[in-house]
Amino acid sequence: MGGPAGRPSDQGLSRRSFLKGAGGAAAASGVLAADAASQEAATAEGAATLSGTTEVELTVNGQARKVSVEPRTTLLSALRDRMDPALTGAKLVCDMGSCGACTVIIDGQPVYGCMTLAARCQGKAITTVEGFGSPDKMSDVQDAFCEKDGLMCGFCTPGFVVATHAALDRKPNADIDELKYELSGNLCRCGTYPHIFEAAKAVQMSRAAGTGEAQEGAGR
Amino acid sequence: MSPDPSWGKRADLDVLNRDIRRVDGPEKVTGRAIYTHDVRLPNMLYARTLRLQTARAKINAVDVEAARQLPGVVHIHIEKEPGSEVRYSGDDSIIAVVAAETMEAALDGVRAIVVDLEKLPPVVTEKAAKAANAPLVNYSRNADSNVTTASESGDRAAIDEVIRGAAALVELDIEIPTQHHVCLETHGHVVDPAEREGFVHIYASTQNVSGMPGQFRRPLERDSDTIRVITPHMGGGFGAKFGAGLEGALAARIARETGRPVHYMLSRADEFTMAGNRSGSKQKIRLAANAEGKLIAVDLDAEKHGGQGRGALPGAPYRYEVENVSSRVVSVKTAADSNRAMRAPGHPQASFGMESAVDMIAYALKMDPVEVRRLNLSSEVHSRQLDTVAKEIGWADHPNRTAPGKAGDNGMAVGIGFGAAGWGPGGRASQCDVTVNPDGTVVSATATQDLGTGARTYVAAIVAEELGLQVSDVLAKIGDSELPPSVASGGSVTTGSSAPAIKDAAHQAREALEAKLEPVLGAAVGGYLWKDGQVSVRDGDGGQSLSWKAVCALLREPLVVRGKFKQALYRGDIHGIQAAKVEVDTLTGRVRVLKMVAVQDQGLPLNRMALRSQINGGMIQALSYGLLEQRVFDEQDGYLLSDNLDLYKIAGPQEMPEMVALIDDEDERESVCGMAEATIIPGHGAIANAIYNACGVRLTKMPFTADNVLEALYGKV
Ligand code: FES
Ligand code: FES
Repeated sequence: MGGPAGRPSDQGLSRRSFLKGAGGAAAASGVLAADAASQEAATAEGAATLSGTTEVELTVNGQARKVSVEPRTTLLSALRDRMDPALTGAKLVCDMGSCGACTVIIDGQPVYGCMTLAARCQGKAITTVEGFGSPDKMSDVQDAFCEKDGLMCGFCTPGFVVATHAALDRKPNADIDELKYELSGNLCRCGTYPHIFEAAKAVQMSRAAGTGEAQEGAGR
Repeated sequence: MSPDPSWGKRADLDVLNRDIRRVDGPEKVTGRAIYTHDVRLPNMLYARTLRLQTARAKINAVDVEAARQLPGVVHIHIEKEPGSEVRYSGDDSIIAVVAAETMEAALDGVRAIVVDLEKLPPVVTEKAAKAANAPLVNYSRNADSNVTTASESGDRAAIDEVIRGAAALVELDIEIPTQHHVCLETHGHVVDPAEREGFVHIYASTQNVSGMPGQFRRPLERDSDTIRVITPHMGGGFGAKFGAGLEGALAARIARETGRPVHYMLSRADEFTMAGNRSGSKQKIRLAANAEGKLIAVDLDAEKHGGQGRGALPGAPYRYEVENVSSRVVSVKTAADSNRAMRAPGHPQASFGMESAVDMIAYALKMDPVEVRRLNLSSEVHSRQLDTVAKEIGWADHPNRTAPGKAGDNGMAVGIGFGAAGWGPGGRASQCDVTVNPDGTVVSATATQDLGTGARTYVAAIVAEELGLQVSDVLAKIGDSELPPSVASGGSVTTGSSAPAIKDAAHQAREALEAKLEPVLGAAVGGYLWKDGQVSVRDGDGGQSLSWKAVCALLREPLVVRGKFKQALYRGDIHGIQAAKVEVDTLTGRVRVLKMVAVQDQGLPLNRMALRSQINGGMIQALSYGLLEQRVFDEQDGYLLSDNLDLYKIAGPQEMPEMVALIDDEDERESVCGMAEATIIPGHGAIANAIYNACGVRLTKMPFTADNVLEALYGKV
């Protein structure tokens, strides 16, 4: 897959592999995962060993944010549940990398926040949907979503906004088929896809017309 | 005297019947909109569920001692006491709920609970439920069988007689699996037990704000008029979110017992297991027509598969006019979650059966399926809509119009199919307050919820239209049980109920302001024109006008009026036609939808852009239902195998065809109503008909996955 392929990969330690030992033990015996098992998994992946609750510093939307996490805490959970004030724009929907509602940008790449460990994000630049704009100063993509009605209940919308930004960065001139491919890591139940495609096309056109300036200037 | 409120002619409107940007768009696209799922309160506990993974068991012991010792675990509620039974896969599967300081700690608690149980045969399939000596899983009082007594109508013997003389007779066996709502925001609540201003506050992901407080009376042990339910935004309902559910009652109870706010949203697997579904069905249909293509008799023999529910199916004939009808319908109960209302409950199922049969009649008579539909749908509206859709999908230039086509040398075949929709959206007792303040600010307030339909936007837009303002001049307040009551959003009733009440309130506000204007501008109430932020005397020379601000400055205190539902502003009787164009790969069985077209009427379009979104949404959900969706249980042990979004597929960007959503502008009724249900009804039937039209194979089993298509083509996969 295009866009989505970049998400869970190159994180070294995935949440899946991390929990393999732990989850198996819990399921079999009904007891809490032993710390040793998790640490073993972590070491095997060549990561630094963490245990218990640790304070880490994450750079989110250009700000340094301190947050206490456990080794297993996902980036999504760190943003939503552990930061104060919380960043709840990214949503938890499937919790397994199927829907894209949790999409955030890490070092320029779209990533599923539910599949990424928070502790692995230290020193990286994280951008959430909140970082792209605010209601008074929306990004061009956000504004186009409003203009073309690329949202209904809005629960998938933050993920789609971030994924659309990423898709247009990666493929500024994507045609409709390429766009579908780039956005195929995200799901919407209300059925906003056709209007999301229209929004993306509108952004392409305004960027082409305003060459560069449009990206910043279209917000209002 | 001034006239009663009326919507007026389309041409005279400045705000409505246009593309209106959603008023909550900016909050939603920037991640600032707070859903129940996002509510964060100081000292809040997170709750997670321990569910039995299989369908049925006898519970011998639930040992929570280890779980209690875990750091962060605060409270454990045991739902299944020793000696009790889990009787079906659904809310009855909840064994315990753990509330903890963090979500992870709550999950630790869940994992640490040790349950001693004895497995019982699952009975999750209809086959198992109907088997001789099947355990009784129909828990209705006095039930002695898993199959309910048949509800029968018509005289089958007489029908057989009519059928014997028919020019065409078709018979088919329809099989439809269970579908899930898949609201992206799972069901759940945040209950804050601390009393503030006389209320306990509950944030709820619900489509029934006004109806919620009463549902919490018991678990909170307090009067419902001291319970306030708030739903600023909600992430999809589709019929699944009318009640607080067991999860709501438990959230409230844990909040009351711990004295701390409780955040209890279902996990995705919980949601698939216990948050409802669209019932499956089996339908044996016999449909007969005379030589002109007029339908003369139909017989339906059906089973509804609603788990613990009765299932939904409107019966025969569906949508089309047929003189002689007989039917026999039973429900087969299984140990699975109850069906719930889901966007046009029962109708997409019935539509699939009937649209397939009508199509078969057309081809059996070598007639054009569009013409056979026209002949048997009684309404002029459907007839003109058939023309519109046929034109848009390219029917006139399509080679196979009275007989199916064949695959080319590369195995590919292209076909077009049709389907009809209708609905009777309700309208009843909603209310709305409009407040005009001396400083010119305007608030329009009603308890209603916005499921993604754009309700919040028309709560403001209708007032703006009446007072000659812009949408942004009016603040819409919704999603709060303390606001004027509103109906639950089911059956497309919200617009038909709320919009008339909003209009009535706006009209009253306008008249009250005109009464104040009489001594200033001279005209009596009803003699003013409100436009572009100005009010002027309707038949004046243009000199007598005031700005909106100046009008409001005449007020000494805020003007507050209460609007009520007005029958004259509402009319619920709507029509739609849809078509699909597909490409079938007869070598691999893969079906790709190339294009879908829908036309829909609904009276006055309040917000054209939001309407097109809804029409698209209906088509897409039908496409998804037709091509992908299917609940799958493990028959042997009763595990729900499709309890996640990898194994339960919904349509994504890659499945999207070209979509054309048309608003029927030949409908000039000066009335409003909702329309969401109608748009989801015929799409998957149109796709099946398109598959037949492409290559002559009739898909009677949903979803139209490659294996089902291959089986239909070659009798085996
Ligand atoms: S919640 Fe992360 S991909 Fe669905
Ligand atoms: S807008 Fe509701 S899920 Fe996409």
